[in-house]
Amino acid sequence: MSILPQLIANSLIAAGTYALLAIGFNLIYGATKFFNLAHGVMAAVGGYTVFFLTTTFAQMNVVVAAAIGVLVAATIGWGLDRVVYRALRKRHASNMVLLVASLGAFTVIQAAIAMIFTSQFQTLSSVASEQVFQVAGASITETQIIIMLSAILVFALLWIFLKTTMFGKQVRAVSDDEEVARIAGVNTEKVLGWIFFIGSAIAGLGGILIGFDTGIQPTMGMELLLKGVIAAIVGGVGSISGAILGALLLGFAENFGIWKISGEWKDAIAFGLLILFLIFRPKGIIKS
Amino acid sequence: MSKTQKIVWWTLGAVVVVGLVAWGVFRNSGSSNVIKIGSIEPLTGGAAVYGQPVQDTIELAVAQINAAGGINGKQVQMIYEDGKCDGTDGANAAQKLVNVDGVQAIIGGFCSGETIPAVPIAAAGKVVMLSPGASSPALTGISPYFFRDYPSDAFQATVMGNIAYNQKGWRTVAVMEEQTDYGTALTNAFSKSFEGYGGKVIVQAFPSATADLRSFLTTLKAQQPDALFIVTQTPAVSDDLFDQLIQLGWRPPLLIGDIISGDPAIIQKYSSQLEGAIGATFLPNASDTAYEAFINAYQAKYGGVPPYQNYMACVFDAVNLLAAGIKQVGYDGAALATWSRTVSNWPGASGNITIGSDGDRAGGDVPIVIHGAQVVPYVAQ
Repeated sequence: MSILPQLIANSLIAAGTYALLAIGFNLIYGATKFFNLAHGVMAAVGGYTVFFLTTTFAQMNVVVAAAIGVLVAATIGWGLDRVVYRALRKRHASNMVLLVASLGAFTVIQAAIAMIFTSQFQTLSSVASEQVFQVAGASITETQIIIMLSAILVFALLWIFLKTTMFGKQVRAVSDDEEVARIAGVNTEKVLGWIFFIGSAIAGLGGILIGFDTGIQPTMGMELLLKGVIAAIVGGVGSISGAILGALLLGFAENFGIWKISGEWKDAIAFGLLILFLIFRPKGIIKS
Repeated sequence: MSKTQKIVWWTLGAVVVVGLVAWGVFRNSGSSNVIKIGSIEPLTGGAAVYGQPVQDTIELAVAQINAAGGINGKQVQMIYEDGKCDGTDGANAAQKLVNVDGVQAIIGGFCSGETIPAVPIAAAGKVVMLSPGASSPALTGISPYFFRDYPSDAFQATVMGNIAYNQKGWRTVAVMEEQTDYGTALTNAFSKSFEGYGGKVIVQAFPSATADLRSFLTTLKAQQPDALFIVTQTPAVSDDLFDQLIQLGWRPPLLIGDIISGDPAIIQKYSSQLEGAIGATFLPNASDTAYEAFINAYQAKYGGVPPYQNYMACVFDAVNLLAAGIKQVGYDGAALATWSRTVSNWPGASGNITIGSDGDRAGGDVPIVIHGAQVVPYVAQ
């Protein structure tokens, strides 16, 4: 029995989760040019919203709960921009100040989740039936297939949206140069608000799906954020397609590293990859 | 703001500061009627599931001691610090308890990771540490100021190595090791025992917070070991691991660390996967009257039986054992450290406690097997 199919499947599953974090992160970074660390905790917000809904209302449909979870994460992301980041931008705060503010927001939201729901590990999978499929010699669950499909779908939708709609053009204009976009008549604050809304929604979706796959705990955000950021930087910071490529590279490097090197090096491989790219190709695979 | 207003505000400020300082001084000087004991356990993070019942158990024991008139007429007051199962936090917690609060004794840490770096700090301050849960062999003989009433992991690993090789006839055992002090120590002790008989151990170690364990399991499965030894410490990781074992469709005979066998929730949830799993644990005698009294008192106070009962019985004993020591030699770290090595057959809820010259609890683990989602004593066929 070859273990190759299973390892490829494992890599793709990991890549899917990293991509869901990296896409939103790159979307926000592309437009604002600052590292929004609070992005990671949006995954926890999404996951815990679904946890709350499915445990409080036993009859609630999982898909409906997930949709509400995505909306809540999106709204909180949008609210953060509205309340915190916008005020700082008005004062022409540096990107470093914004980064620190986002770290503060991350900590506050994570602590709030821990206070409301305790630090206990929870699984969402008890509410969804888990079916294991055999695909070309690899075991893979329904949730994991949904994770991979979601990553592809989100990427495709976002790509089409950015390329074909008027709003997408505005987003790209803001990403190129916010100042010029504003002079050209783009309502940049509104566009940025929407970017946070969409980016956080994707992170929330990621958190929910990860919750169904492995489980949720308040501290899940940082781990996910780190891997998402590595994928984002390796792929090309600020680039949506880069996020997908970076996630794939990271997923494969980690999982094949466990096989060929040793599991202890899993995190070292991830961060080693990051350092290699920072030194030799700092703009990532796709230079935006 | 006018000048008068300024003066009023400054005066008010000064009064508040002087008042606070005076209150602090008064509080400290008034503390001669109180025995302040420090405690370190994980109160946040993945291991907080242990910290909460530990705190509850300590509170229960302290309440009983205080209701009975305290120790030599003094009331006991606990100061809890969050060690997060982590070395840095454990060291910080010990620093605060030793240097700021000035305690003479610390109950904890609960995890080996938060305990190991805390011991030298306590020892430097001549503060005695009594751990009810840290079981890493690295703590054996670490300092005259350290002792524990939970046995070292070296015992359970030796028991399991023997059964695996000599009774089950396994020759290759794969290990899934969570990289914590507990996990590494247990893995090393097992490898030493099993390889000593002539067996082969394949280890896959993974960082503690890892949720995606699929490829670790995939590579181990491909090597077709006779059995899989699961050494996890964080309940979240155990949960993910069993879930992903099922997804992979791999059902090897299992060996389990005492944290899994002490976790009823995991055993219940994965009862079919765990059926027949062999472990070795420290198991208090359930029909012992002191043990029953502890369980009943806990139930009466918190409305449910304590989780991780083998650990909680040791937590409960740690408080009472320390109280007995303070009663005997006074509240002084150095005197308590010397006294700790004289503890012999002290009757507690977890059984009779004897502390060896290396600070370890003498006696140890018995082999167990999971059967019908219950932990039962292992009987050799």
